[in-house]
Amino acid sequence: MTLPAASLKGVTYRYPGTQAGVFDVTMDIAPGELVVCLGPSGCGKTTLLRLIAGFLRPEAGTIRLNGEDVSALPTRVRECGVVFQAYALFPHMRVWENVAYPLRVRDVAPEERRRRAFEMLELVGLTGLAERLPAQLSGGQQQRVALARALVFGPRALLLDEPLSALDAATRVTMRDEVRRIQRSHNIATLLITHDQDEALSLADRIVLLCEGRLVQAGSPQELYDQPADAFVAGFIGRANLLDGKVIDAETVETSIGRLATPRHGRVAGSALKLLVRPERCELANGGGENVFPARVLRDRFFGATRQVEVAAGEGRLEIETAMRDHVAHVRIPREAIQFLNTR
Amino acid sequence: MLLRWVTAAYLAYLAVPIALLVVGSFGELWLNTLLPTGLTAHWYLDVAADPSFRRAFGASLAVVTLTCAACAAIGLPLAYAVFRADSARVRALARVLYQMPIALPPLVLAFGFILVFSSDTLPWLGSIWLLAAGHVVLALPYFLATVVADMQRLGLRTLEDAAESLGSAGWQRFAHIVLPALSQSILAGLIIVAALSIGEFQFSNLVAGFLNRTYPVVLLQAFYGATGFACAATVVLLALALVAAIAGSVTAGGATRFRTAVA
Repeated sequence: MTLPAASLKGVTYRYPGTQAGVFDVTMDIAPGELVVCLGPSGCGKTTLLRLIAGFLRPEAGTIRLNGEDVSALPTRVRECGVVFQAYALFPHMRVWENVAYPLRVRDVAPEERRRRAFEMLELVGLTGLAERLPAQLSGGQQQRVALARALVFGPRALLLDEPLSALDAATRVTMRDEVRRIQRSHNIATLLITHDQDEALSLADRIVLLCEGRLVQAGSPQELYDQPADAFVAGFIGRANLLDGKVIDAETVETSIGRLATPRHGRVAGSALKLLVRPERCELANGGGENVFPARVLRDRFFGATRQVEVAAGEGRLEIETAMRDHVAHVRIPREAIQFLNTR
Repeated sequence: MLLRWVTAAYLAYLAVPIALLVVGSFGELWLNTLLPTGLTAHWYLDVAADPSFRRAFGASLAVVTLTCAACAAIGLPLAYAVFRADSARVRALARVLYQMPIALPPLVLAFGFILVFSSDTLPWLGSIWLLAAGHVVLALPYFLATVVADMQRLGLRTLEDAAESLGSAGWQRFAHIVLPALSQSILAGLIIVAALSIGEFQFSNLVAGFLNRTYPVVLLQAFYGATGFACAATVVLLALALVAAIAGSVTAGGATRFRTAVA
């Protein structure tokens, strides 16, 4: 097994005088891997990044970069390329001087600095703007400069703190691909912080989901979507129908929608459990058959390729995503579409 | 339409006394008439030749220079410390404290200085140094406000974090990032300080001895003499303050332009 580029073990940090922070986080980033740290605002994502970068020191646990324990080392010697949400370009330096700055403080000769800065600018497609000041650049361009500056000194890891959230929607999607391309071209271990699940799903090799400072689940985007660890993960990643249920027998659960035939489960009759049904797994039906319920449309939104319908069924509500344009009178929940979740 | 008239009236109200001063300074004789009679430049030559005015001009320049130097030397580290304070409460408290001298009448400060520095142990009343010290107390709040505001607008803290992550050591961050990024607002702040110090009268009039009177203090004496002479002497002060103000707004404007695009 190769040594992880970055490795956290039981890392804990609490902001003085509060209950906020990160608690007992253990995770690895493999060389060349892009890990996305996802979570609602205030869940400790940025804290985690600041701990790895060295702006904060953990109270407990260790942080290793390429195997070296850096927990007690200052930011300056950790050699992490950090990209900030607000870019943090130096306003008085030209674009190429910004990119060359890490080389300047490493006493690289001036011609060499310039050459390497221009090389990086070429990679991010900004050679033509090298002599400008940051203020003369658009948000997306500034973010490219910040990326170039964070990579030019060959850091051990790349840390991106909500790098796309300050951009407008169209630029954001383009920059998403850019970040991926540049990260690939350097094959550098990367941690990207975001609260945007689309960004996480489309960018990540692996997603680490945080909630209230704790790591809830880590895995590939598919794993998190298909096998969410609990109701929080299911609700946070993708759209979800979460149903509270009471076990009737080994293959039947009573819910607010009605009595559902489910895959076989080992729980005792009478116990409570939570069910997950993804909206795209629900089907429109003509009445009759297993798990078919009469439905009344509450909201019907058309998106071209798909259509999102919210219906009332039994005592509860269901969200359905379908390509069909028929009138909705009955909805079917296929038995195999039902998943059981751990309740917390 | 009404707005325009109000603006015009206000501008006239501002400009007329100043215009009259200028007119008066070139007038030969001005006694009980609306405008002076005769055209001359000799009042300016008289002011230039007057030993007490020459001396006051020199004293004012010395006080301004000392005040600016002290404000920069004290103000910059202080602004930085206030800006970097971890607790929001400490920052708010510091802001209240350093803004307090704005509310302090210079007269009160002067009495305090007279009490302390007229004693035999601290017999420094009337020295250039003491004048500058008083001006620092009066002008420093404006310098701090300018620089701290700019630190916040720039997001200096994140800039420093970025520099540190890129491998920059403490002194390098100060020399490469903090100073150059703040240069515009430091300059703008110092120009405010200079303008305040040049025009300061209340404090200087009480604390200055006969040896080191500043320009505004001497100017008051001129009004007991010829009108043309007094006008010319005032115009000199005005020109001095105007130069400072224009330079200030130009650098401040430059700083804002430079920055709005950043934000």
